[in-house]
Amino acid sequence: MSEPFEPKIVMFACNWCTYAALDLAGTSRMKYPPNFLVIKTMCSGRVDPQFIFQAFRNGADGVLVAGCHLGDCHYIEGNVKTLRRITLVRRMLDAFGIEPERLRLEWISASEADKFVKVASEMVAQIKALGPLSPKLEANA
Amino acid sequence: MSEEPKVGVFVCHCGMNIAGTINVKEVVEYARTLPHVVDANEYVFMCSAPGQDLIKDEVKNLGINRVVVAACSPAMHEPTFRAAMADAGLNRYLLEMVNIREQSAWVHSHEKRRATEKTKDLLRMAVAKAVLLEPLEELRIGMQPASLVVGGGVAGLRASLDLAQRGFKVHLVEKLPTTGGRAVGLGTMARSEMSGSELLRPILDQVESHTNIVTYLNSELVNLDGSVGYFKAKVVTYPRFVNAKCTLCEECVRVCPVEVANEYDYGLSKRKAIYLPFKDARPRIMAIDPHSCTMCGECVKVCEPGAIDLAEESRENELVVGGVILASGFEPYEPPFGDFGFGYSEKIVTLFQLERLLDANGPTKGQLVVSGTVPKNIAFIMCVGSLGTTENAHQYCSRTCCASSLKNMIRIRALYPDATIYAIYKDIRTYGRHDETLYEQATEQRVKFINFENTPNVNAGANGITVHVRDATLQASLAIPVDLVVLAVGMSPSSTLRSLRSVVKVGCSPEGFLREAHPKLRPVEAPADGIFFAGSVSGPKNVIESSMAGSATAAKASALFAKGEFHVEPITAQVTEELCSGCAVCIAMCPYGAIARKSVGDKKRAEVDRALCKACGACVAACPSGAMQQAGFKDTQLLAQIVAISERRNVR
Repeated sequence: MSEPFEPKIVMFACNWCTYAALDLAGTSRMKYPPNFLVIKTMCSGRVDPQFIFQAFRNGADGVLVAGCHLGDCHYIEGNVKTLRRITLVRRMLDAFGIEPERLRLEWISASEADKFVKVASEMVAQIKALGPLSPKLEANA
Repeated sequence: MSEEPKVGVFVCHCGMNIAGTINVKEVVEYARTLPHVVDANEYVFMCSAPGQDLIKDEVKNLGINRVVVAACSPAMHEPTFRAAMADAGLNRYLLEMVNIREQSAWVHSHEKRRATEKTKDLLRMAVAKAVLLEPLEELRIGMQPASLVVGGGVAGLRASLDLAQRGFKVHLVEKLPTTGGRAVGLGTMARSEMSGSELLRPILDQVESHTNIVTYLNSELVNLDGSVGYFKAKVVTYPRFVNAKCTLCEECVRVCPVEVANEYDYGLSKRKAIYLPFKDARPRIMAIDPHSCTMCGECVKVCEPGAIDLAEESRENELVVGGVILASGFEPYEPPFGDFGFGYSEKIVTLFQLERLLDANGPTKGQLVVSGTVPKNIAFIMCVGSLGTTENAHQYCSRTCCASSLKNMIRIRALYPDATIYAIYKDIRTYGRHDETLYEQATEQRVKFINFENTPNVNAGANGITVHVRDATLQASLAIPVDLVVLAVGMSPSSTLRSLRSVVKVGCSPEGFLREAHPKLRPVEAPADGIFFAGSVSGPKNVIESSMAGSATAAKASALFAKGEFHVEPITAQVTEELCSGCAVCIAMCPYGAIARKSVGDKKRAEVDRALCKACGACVAACPSGAMQQAGFKDTQLLAQIVAISERRNVR
């Protein structure tokens, strides 16, 4: 029996809300599974669809994009652009044979460390249930 | 950047905060195996002076030109390490931090093995990005220590005067022929015997006489270019047709054949096409309203001082300012024809019209005379146009109408002790420090309060006016015959806001008021630097709050001007012209209006005003050709970080 599957999840966190929530989770000594590799952008609106595709292509089993709540964006409405893009990217993933559930979008404010912890455990469980992505990609190649 | 990247890695123990969970030695050894890493170090507190010296020494001795610090959150010590690098002569933006304390050690202390593995992953990703970092320079913008103020109401006047008194030049632009705004139309002020125009007289005089303030009446801001520190404003001044020789003899008014509704009295009186807007209007000269004037020339014939010139033309003023204060105010909510009987009878008036009736200088000289008689039974209907009471009503509370209505009920009671006054309300919100006493006073003075369950109905017929209301307390339907209905209307966003917004690129809230940078912490600032909101442009405010907002914007603008220079973080968007097709997708993405299209030869290219860019990167993500890039967050840099999530480079 090999080691149990631990999904690799790339997380894009906006500088103002979600990155600060991650800091708060840390200073509050909350516990969550170590599956998330965080990449900081100033706004979730900076997350280019190609970043998501490249993450999946390079070994990610899941991608979490997280930013300020709608209406609270530091850049007024960057997250609205994110919302539109993620909706589109999900449909493209489906067309590529990648389960759209592997891509998750969450609004996590700077004070919502607990929300992140909840999302983190949910998402790890969900991706574990889906299984690793790379064998699928190789089979499709 | 042509020089070979040489990365120095510095891993912090943070005492036992990091080292207690993560095997730092293993991480350091791993770092040494990564491409372009020249050396890796560990230290108990990297932020301490000896820790910073480690970085400086390696810059000097090993010639490292990229720094990766694995420690706490960048929110904590990024400035510390940047300063250390600058000290050693290295550009401060060649730093990448790995947040291994908050994102690994503290949150994964229950899984130490995996925490160390995750730390190695994060470090590998950071090194991959760091290799591609480029030196950046802060943008420094010179500051024109002058301000444009749009709107000459309480907020704009207060802002102008505060700035002028601090020694800064102010260009005050008012679209009407006189300053004073809405407040001069208030007949009486609460807890005072003064009218609005009496209250404002001192500030109107001070603004008029201050040498640092240039007032542009009958004027409009038609174009605004540039950004914080150096805005170029185009202000058009429309002709007044009357100059300073006017002595206010009123001969012209006598002969003018044109009569129109007087907007200062909200249509309750008539005025001529040549007129003094109101008794205390500044400046003390007549004005001609070009919309109603027929240019018959009768006034010119009788004007002894020769103050009238009907050939006067519009003037354009080019102004250069460092900051812009928007204070263009609100408009009273006007009920649609028929709502609450509005428009059916002269005896159904708005709160703003009532203010005029109770003004000693108003159309009835302060007497409550409507259709020739003094009303005996008066009903105030509150929340007209607010709190969703009707289909067209705003969802928000306008805040001022409760206190204002109560003040007027008390005033009417003082003038007419025998009158019966009904306050038909949904909620009474007298939130100001002194305002609850108005409510108490009104109850003591026998105002009959009726809490309505459903929006009341007003019937205006040949037999007079009846208000039908379901009383929530009595649980009874009442029909109240009255001879005056006062509709306590709230505030609507000014109808001129749309055109102002197209000139000054600022956003609005769903209610239509201007949207602040932050509703709680930065309530008088626009998201774009150098633009400020004073008064009710950003939501309903009373005179006190408008004064405060005016002073606040002046303080904000002064802080900007006093610095003499504005610094912009260099992580802004930039265009590679050769790659840009001029498609303009980026322009629609930018909430700050920082991107424009310029002509390069016969082609169009996007151009970023770096002073306006706030570095969100939305345009970069939208650019189809990769021409738009964000410094410090370039596609190549972030993609390198993404590709490095696995050691196994799964690139086919």
